[in-house]
Amino acid sequence: MSPLTYILGWPFLAALALVFIPRNYRVVIRAIAVAATFLSAVLALKMFAQFAGAPAGASGYRFEQVVPWVKALGISYYVGVDGINAGLVLMAAIVAFAAACASWDVQHREKEFYILLLVMAGGILGAFASLDLFFFYIFHEFALVPTFLMIGLWGRGEQKNYATFQITLYLTVGSLIVLVGLIALYLQSGLGTFSIPALVAHFRQNPMPLGAQQFIFPLLLFGFGILVSLWPFHSWAPPGYGAAPSATAMLHAGALKKFGLYGLIRIALPIMPEAAREWMPVLAWLCLGNLLYCGWVAMKQRDFNWLVGYSSVAHMGFVFLGIATLTPLGLTGAVLVMVAHGFLAALTFGLNGYIHRQTGTLEMAQLGGLLRRLPFIGAALMMAAFAGCGLPGFANFAGEITVFFGAWKVYPVVTVLACWGALIVGAVYMLRAVRVVMHGPLPERWAEVPDAPHFWRKLPFLALLAGLLVFGCFPRLLTDRIQAGLASVLPAPPIALTEAIEPVNSTAPLAGPTSFEPERPMVPAGMTVRE
Amino acid sequence: MKLEILPWLILFLPLVAAGWITLFTLRNQKLSVGLSIGAVVTGFVLSVLFVAVNPLTPAPQELSLNWLSIGEFQVQFGLRLDPLSLLMMLVVTGVAGVIHIYSWGYMRGDRGISRYFACLSLFTFSMLGIVLANNFLQLFIFWELVGVSSYLLIGFWYEKPAAADAGKKAFITNRLGDFGFILGILTVWAALGSLNFGVLAEKLGANREALGGAATLAGLLIFCGAVGKSAQFPLHVWLPDAMEGPTPVSALIHAATMVAAGVYMLCRVFFLLNAGALEIIAWIGGFTALISALMAIQQNDIKRILAYSTLSQLGYMVMAVGLHGPTPAMFHLTTHAFFKALLFLGAGSVIIACHHEQDIWKMGGLGRKMPVTFWTFLAGTLALAGVWPLSGFFSKDAILAEAFERHHYALFALGVMVALLTTFYMFRLVFVVFFRPARAEPAGHAVESPQVMLWPLRILATLSIVGGVISLDHYYRLQFEPAAVGAALSWTAQLTHPFAHAPVPAAFGLAAALAGFACAWLLYRRADVDPLPARLGPVARAMRDRFYFDELYQATVIRAHDFIATIADWADRWLIAGLVVRGTHGTTELIGRALRLVQTGNLQTYAFLFALGVAFVLWWVLG
Repeated sequence: MSPLTYILGWPFLAALALVFIPRNYRVVIRAIAVAATFLSAVLALKMFAQFAGAPAGASGYRFEQVVPWVKALGISYYVGVDGINAGLVLMAAIVAFAAACASWDVQHREKEFYILLLVMAGGILGAFASLDLFFFYIFHEFALVPTFLMIGLWGRGEQKNYATFQITLYLTVGSLIVLVGLIALYLQSGLGTFSIPALVAHFRQNPMPLGAQQFIFPLLLFGFGILVSLWPFHSWAPPGYGAAPSATAMLHAGALKKFGLYGLIRIALPIMPEAAREWMPVLAWLCLGNLLYCGWVAMKQRDFNWLVGYSSVAHMGFVFLGIATLTPLGLTGAVLVMVAHGFLAALTFGLNGYIHRQTGTLEMAQLGGLLRRLPFIGAALMMAAFAGCGLPGFANFAGEITVFFGAWKVYPVVTVLACWGALIVGAVYMLRAVRVVMHGPLPERWAEVPDAPHFWRKLPFLALLAGLLVFGCFPRLLTDRIQAGLASVLPAPPIALTEAIEPVNSTAPLAGPTSFEPERPMVPAGMTVRE
Repeated sequence: MKLEILPWLILFLPLVAAGWITLFTLRNQKLSVGLSIGAVVTGFVLSVLFVAVNPLTPAPQELSLNWLSIGEFQVQFGLRLDPLSLLMMLVVTGVAGVIHIYSWGYMRGDRGISRYFACLSLFTFSMLGIVLANNFLQLFIFWELVGVSSYLLIGFWYEKPAAADAGKKAFITNRLGDFGFILGILTVWAALGSLNFGVLAEKLGANREALGGAATLAGLLIFCGAVGKSAQFPLHVWLPDAMEGPTPVSALIHAATMVAAGVYMLCRVFFLLNAGALEIIAWIGGFTALISALMAIQQNDIKRILAYSTLSQLGYMVMAVGLHGPTPAMFHLTTHAFFKALLFLGAGSVIIACHHEQDIWKMGGLGRKMPVTFWTFLAGTLALAGVWPLSGFFSKDAILAEAFERHHYALFALGVMVALLTTFYMFRLVFVVFFRPARAEPAGHAVESPQVMLWPLRILATLSIVGGVISLDHYYRLQFEPAAVGAALSWTAQLTHPFAHAPVPAAFGLAAALAGFACAWLLYRRADVDPLPARLGPVARAMRDRFYFDELYQATVIRAHDFIATIADWADRWLIAGLVVRGTHGTTELIGRALRLVQTGNLQTYAFLFALGVAFVLWWVLG
């Protein structure tokens, strides 16, 4: 059996087990949820580490497993990873673990909460691991429905009901549009299979008629776009995350939201290259709506959670810009940002949740000087803020800079404006938040606010920070894998890409085109020396 | 090359110290201090060893590994070892080591001392990264990292609103410069296809016109980075505010090293800058030097005077680069690192003695009470004023000579003017602080600082005195003009070299220093209140209020950006979320109400609708 089945299976199994556990066994319920997600995370880590050594299947995917289900329609349980979703599965598993850890603040109906959380985690992991259109979509729905329930039942704030209503409406409409697009795709192929690799291979041999592309592509672009809060379909996100319990916001903003982007890259681009080329300039300009406009709106927020919500919407702009380039460079950057933002969004919403739990408010005017009382949480929040404004060392920087380099030759004007959004607007609202919430004199009423008391409370944040830092300092862990995976995505893979597939299973550095003559053989420590 | 592991060690030791302190020893203050000081001092010793084993030669050496490699986007993590970077490595580890030790005395008793030393180590790591970087992107990475360590250290006392605000202002102002810098890097990469300095230099060496029409633009965009980091006009406003940080931080980051990184970067990529860009760079540098020297004249905070003086000297260095003179720029950068660090540490000693009083008009008579501080401060002042035979004379003279030789008489005159002003405001400071009786209570009880703070002063004072005659310019010339370089001169020959080589600039420089001293002597020798405001009136007020640049930016740039944000917020609230979404919501509800009318509960109606539906489907499928 594929390790992927275990990775997505443990949360579902645990959810099932919880059904049979009496609701007053609170510690047991929580322990099972944390243990299951921990197992998933460890297995995902192992999968990611073994990725390079694992044999690749016929269509380039590793750790494949196919179990036919409905033969008449061609539906099968089909999981597998390539460079694009390997990082996403790892990120989602770690985020799920962090979310389960950070749910200690849920005090009523724990049983239902953890069941929903586990179903959501399993659904997310399943959606990222599935290579079958049907399961790809259904797993997403598995994750989506608990989101609405959790916001509605365990949410906070006065606007909770309206926020639940809005997010449900928006995301349901988005996924319905996607559904229409996917069904049209299935019918258009005439193959009678839901297997994504088979569909991609088919349409690469027999390109889809342009008319059909022009019908289906916008459906997928905007359907997926709504799920990712593409401007101007973003207004569900800030109130939704503002009202959500922190674990839900962590899972949704961190992991589930990447589903739409992943779908665009995995399905829409390779199957409909011509329509993609027509629509990408539009997407490039829309991404400025995220990057600049939502950044400006974030500058004006008075509630910290809304600010983080808008900033999370703004960050999606980098991914859209990367996708819009349709170059290996831009797409690699886009996937890198997806993984990075997963860790970052989960981290910020988790920390927000902690502060809200302790102070009962996230109104920025009422907070201040908390760093004195919260050295750990405060330091983590400041690191998250730095990651959010693109500081090197965190994975976001590696992704953003790659996107900029990829986009510069394709959309120079958009890139200039995007840089402004990244370097200036991002820094302005993030540092303002740090200044108002963390710095300055400590108000009397927060003099007794406690910091994270022990290791278990710190663990989720440490895990997410580790993800950000490791991929920030060693981005090749991801980029080498992603590049190889992109070969199956890009309409016409450039010649340079074949060279880039090589390094996947070697950790030794390459002598790239920029190395010099004459060159000494590589030193064991992995340095090239030039004299 | 021998011992090639050493540069890696030197670079990463401070990072290890910073990480270790943050993770494990925050509560153990002594261990934290020891780790941080140990890392940087070891780094200095290893640097000396490395340079001793590998003599400086013009041929660059590179050690690198691949950090990111995606098709044509190749980023190395590499060290470029040439005279420029090796000398800077010595300067950075040396000055940082001395300041680390001083900090131990200065910050004693502060409860955040572990955090302080962790940030200081992070800064040392980032600064060494800038110095050793072999490509643009790596430089940019460390560029951002020094920015963030500076932010953390300016806002070290974050409970003080002024400190927290100053950190934020410094970071965002720097980001404005970095915005241009990254665009410049993108332009260069798109045109030349590489980020590595060596490759870029080779490509441009083979074909001067490789950058085409974008050459001037690319040069100026890259210069934007230096404008931010080295606080040149129009982004100079952050540096004076940065004085809210602890004084050793001001000495290390905001005087000796980080703010000089802009100048260093310009020298590093000097081969990229064409004549058009250099002309603008020279004028911006000169203008900054002049206006900040004018502002320094009317400041009353001891650290702010030094901050404006730093601005002015940085302008001098930038002007030198713009005059096609990277050698004098780097020479002045190095001597300035010695004497400006010394002056800040001396100021710190004074501030501690006066119980954190920083207004010079509340000091006085400290010369007799604090002899070591006074004499070392005086040495620094004389060096900064450019008095022969101290270090500042030689480096400043080299810049003036550069302007003179290039027949750039306007900038030459400007340089002489700034030299006069420099001597004037520095001796104003010295007279008011160290002479006359104490003007306020704390200064009356001042005592000399402990030895842990005095030894750094003595070391830096020695360097400030002899820095001009230890062949620094010779080694920098190895980097920039390897063809023209001769044998190194003996120190006695160096002493007289300026007079033999270019007597006119040397004479002008000395005359300016003398004139500045004379003015200060006349006005401030016996002053207990500043006589200038009464004589100059509104001009003095404008100088004191920094020529209203902060107010101007507040009223224009910041307000405009804020206005845009307000509009966006309003649109989001009322147009997108309000009109469209709530509108859809309303419409849906209206349709729902309309459809409710169909739900009559009447069986016949339902049967009729059902039949109608079946008929419709049949028609659709069959027809």
